[in-house]
Amino acid sequence: MIDAATTQAAIRAAAVPAAAPLLEAVGVTKKFGANVVIENLSIGFAPGMLHSILGPNGAGKTTLFNLLTRDLPVTSGEILLRGERITAMKPHQIARLGVGRSYQISSVYLDLSFLDNVWLAAYRAKHGGRMGWWKQVGAYGEIREQACEVLEKLGLTGFRDLPAKAVSYGDQRLLEIAVTLATNPDILLLDEPTAGLSQRETERVKNFIESIKQQYLIVMIEHKMNVVMEISDRVHVMNRGVLIASGTAAEISRDDAVHRAYFGL
Amino acid sequence: MLRTQSTLLIAASTVVIAALAPLVMPINIATEILIFGIFAMSTNLLIGVSGLYSFGQAAFFGVGGYVAGYCFVHTDLPLSVGLLLAMLGSAVVAALVGAFSIRRTGIYFMMLTFAFNQMIYYLAYSWRAVTGGEDGLGGIRRPALEIPFVGNIDLGDHLNFYLVAAALFVASSILLFRLARSPLGLVLDAARQNPRRTASLGFSVYRAQWIAFVVAGAIAGLAGALFALLYRIMPIDAISWTSSGNVVFMVVIGGMSSILGPVLGAAIFIWLQGFFSLIWARWPLLFGVFIILVVLFLRGGVAELFDRARQAFTRKAPKPAIQGGSHD
Repeated sequence: MIDAATTQAAIRAAAVPAAAPLLEAVGVTKKFGANVVIENLSIGFAPGMLHSILGPNGAGKTTLFNLLTRDLPVTSGEILLRGERITAMKPHQIARLGVGRSYQISSVYLDLSFLDNVWLAAYRAKHGGRMGWWKQVGAYGEIREQACEVLEKLGLTGFRDLPAKAVSYGDQRLLEIAVTLATNPDILLLDEPTAGLSQRETERVKNFIESIKQQYLIVMIEHKMNVVMEISDRVHVMNRGVLIASGTAAEISRDDAVHRAYFGL
Repeated sequence: MLRTQSTLLIAASTVVIAALAPLVMPINIATEILIFGIFAMSTNLLIGVSGLYSFGQAAFFGVGGYVAGYCFVHTDLPLSVGLLLAMLGSAVVAALVGAFSIRRTGIYFMMLTFAFNQMIYYLAYSWRAVTGGEDGLGGIRRPALEIPFVGNIDLGDHLNFYLVAAALFVASSILLFRLARSPLGLVLDAARQNPRRTASLGFSVYRAQWIAFVVAGAIAGLAGALFALLYRIMPIDAISWTSSGNVVFMVVIGGMSSILGPVLGAAIFIWLQGFFSLIWARWPLLFGVFIILVVLFLRGGVAELFDRARQAFTRKAPKPAIQGGSHD
């Protein structure tokens, strides 16, 4: 146990890089009743990088995202954004500070068109949290243009007027990313962006993420090793609610703790 | 016609409805239908647009009715001020009830709105000095409508009163129609489908739904005030939970997916109520059967019949081909 604790401390030191992290979890714990899902986890995400979070099912990766965006409250610990404490804020307030998120299970609005899905996000980015109640959605030409541009970026222009429920799951995943981008965030939290995508679609999303990674701090939960290893600047590995390794893709692939977690050796 | 897209069209449709109604039915029935049409449209802002299943809307209808009733029994306030006070009173009560109820979702939201309705009902029941309690608040005068440079219009005349109700009906439809197609309306629609996602985009779902609750409450209050003026009495039944249930029935019968569906529902409800009560004393039984049939076979409400008819006409037209986005 003592050994494990010292290893934890060493990993924590490695996980918090020298450059001040933009988004940071400090000693966070999340319990559901007696079940400890995340235990005293500290992790920082330095700007200008693509971070991947790896880990077996149940490692607490999505829960970590939920704590970072306050979809769930922490049991203890703090969440810091640009060094400021955001632990007690509400999800919509955190979103307005530039934290954009995509969900593991597609959470696009199935009854809305592709355009309206993205329009909502672009409108919020432009108007803060204000919600106009008289001028019609169709009359906001500039926001419509922005929304169309985002759809274009992801190659979804052909779906513009279709309801999201009318297309394949893969295309809904792309829309999910488009919606998140349209909120004009500084930080992108992508929860398994390639889950449920075909190999070809996965390749496209991977290339797309790589092409935009200079502009954002991206944190990505991902299971597909080839995606993680090819485009990540930093890889963090979680198992059973704790961080077991942090480093470059090359370092991680040589790490014994990672091998143990994945292969039970 | 039920799914019109522009404000002009919706205005034209409501004007036509309001102009035709008195030609095919007694004027007071037409007035009642428009009043409940306003009430049902406001309720549909919550049920259909926002997905907030409120079973307490009669509380706001009732508060509007009592405030207007009190004004026109005990004071000499002009019509416009009385109606505005009624809307304001309902809005304030809705703001309080909404602030608590919207914190919960689903069945708990329903139960909270229901419980608040019961509380407000018993308040009205016990506060005899103001509401008349069980006997209702009687002796409500219809003040003359004062129009600058035109003069006073006597609303004791049923047709004149109908025209006032019709004007307010058209105005309410336009307001609710525009609201549903504004950014706020889209946020409400989005929050109905996925509240968590809507918050993660940076919208305060609570605030959007609270605004909708207050607006729906204020418009229900307007309907209640007109109702009190129509029969010159504000009965205690109008504020009870059965009245809340009735307006939900109107919305379900008419259909939630368009602005005019609930109006159609209100018309059918009031017409059927009159019709069934003539042929059989136990008419609510027949009425129940009718509602079951609608829910089982016409999920989109009677408005869906129009859609089906339109589809039957256009079936032969080829569907537009879907052009690939990600597969190119």
